[in-house]
Amino acid sequence: MASGTKNKGKPKGKGGAKSGRGSSVSRPRRPKPWGTIGAVVLVVALAAGVFTYAFMQIDEQEQWVASEENQDPSDDIEGVTKVEYDGAQHVSGDQRVAYDQSPPFGGPHDQVWANCNGTVYDTAVRNENMVHGLEHGSIWIAYNPDEVKGAALDTLKAKVEGQPHMMMSPYPGLDRPISLQSWGHQLKLDSADDERVDQFIRALRQNQYQHPEPGGRCDSDGTGFDPLNPPPFVAEPPGEGAVQMDGTGAIEATDEGMTPPAPTGASEPPATDGSQPTGASTGAPPSQ
Amino acid sequence: MTQREQEDARPSRSSRVVVIVAAMVAVLLVGAAGGMLLTLSQVDSATPPGPESVDVGFAQDMRVHHLQAVTMAGIARDNSDDGVIRGLAFDIESTQLAQAGQMSGWLTVWGRSTLPPPGAGHMGWMSEGGTHMHSDGSGGETTEAVQRMPGMATTEELNALREATGRKLDVMFLQLMLRHHQGGLEMAAYGAVHASTGYVRNLAKKIVESQQAEADLMAAYLARRGAEPLPVP
Repeated sequence: MASGTKNKGKPKGKGGAKSGRGSSVSRPRRPKPWGTIGAVVLVVALAAGVFTYAFMQIDEQEQWVASEENQDPSDDIEGVTKVEYDGAQHVSGDQRVAYDQSPPFGGPHDQVWANCNGTVYDTAVRNENMVHGLEHGSIWIAYNPDEVKGAALDTLKAKVEGQPHMMMSPYPGLDRPISLQSWGHQLKLDSADDERVDQFIRALRQNQYQHPEPGGRCDSDGTGFDPLNPPPFVAEPPGEGAVQMDGTGAIEATDEGMTPPAPTGASEPPATDGSQPTGASTGAPPSQ
Repeated sequence: MTQREQEDARPSRSSRVVVIVAAMVAVLLVGAAGGMLLTLSQVDSATPPGPESVDVGFAQDMRVHHLQAVTMAGIARDNSDDGVIRGLAFDIESTQLAQAGQMSGWLTVWGRSTLPPPGAGHMGWMSEGGTHMHSDGSGGETTEAVQRMPGMATTEELNALREATGRKLDVMFLQLMLRHHQGGLEMAAYGAVHASTGYVRNLAKKIVESQQAEADLMAAYLARRGAEPLPVP
């Protein structure tokens, strides 16, 4: 447009005679291919529109689905804490683990998993069992019972009850109203309506790139873990003799959990001789 | 010859270059945009099945439905004193667990979530044809997605099953599993017709046939124990 007016203005300024001569001489040069230019602009605009639309569509559909190219979609969720843990380190029912996080989201755990089949626990459940549920690819919604009640609690329950690989329990003393856990991932939130709740679930539930045991089952019937009467959460620090995060004191590796464990069977007191003094400090509840 | 030379000389060399480059760019963009549209249409429909497709909806929701059958069958297999019940429960548990795993594999290969997106409800994909209606689990009829699929047991029912023993356990298991099978039939029948992929339609069809046969068997088992089935969902 700008260049168009410029060209038109040129002959005008140079006087009648020149313009008359110019018109006859420059006539073959003057007609710019406006039709072509317009068509190109149109095509560019059209292509830009199609590209944008296509990318938005593809992006929205794929964004939270794990794939070989996008193994951890939770990287796009703001506020997620990630820690790498080794799987398959087991403790017995009377042992405790000095977890490095609160609530914990990985590390040694009880040989029996907490029922994680859309299970809403009304009472706080032993960490060691809940962590094993995470190892099987489930999401654990923990909430502070003093802060999350009524409608917010119902909102969270609706995301859990009857939904495979979901579990939820109160967590006394939680430093934020809500904390979401999957194996190696945690997201602490203030509101049950935060869109990141669903994003976290979509990105990490049964994400076989992120949890150690794809296909791990969530039914606990027959394992010794009773979802109606789960082993209770223990608020006190685990103290000396607890199994350390590096697995010190854990049960020797055996066949993975297919046989019902003997409740108190071969539980020797964990070897505390070589345990690091740092273990006590990492086991302490985090500040805040 | 001279005439042609004159015609050639008319447009300047620079504007010819501009026109040619512009035309090339235009052709390239048209091709690229066409390719992008083609990609988009494949994301939406053809291969692999898109997120809104019957295939994906069926596989995700039938997984959830199956996994609860696996839970209930596991309880009966662990706790029943009746070898017939334990055998039936073992059959249902292993079959449906394997089928749930099969569907999980499809969904992974298709690049979809192995479970339905949170908060979106279930069976919203069963809307092709428009007039379709199904129960929303509380007696109402709706064409929208439902929170609880037909035949699904409540947490209270599952817990009651966990606590039951003896004949009470056997009857309760048969009642809940019969209703569960009946509730799943509609979804399976829909998938058997409307899924775009042959192997999805095949599994859906097999589910209809085998679960109908098992439903008949469980109705007979209930009658033999002098018990009534629950209302059909």
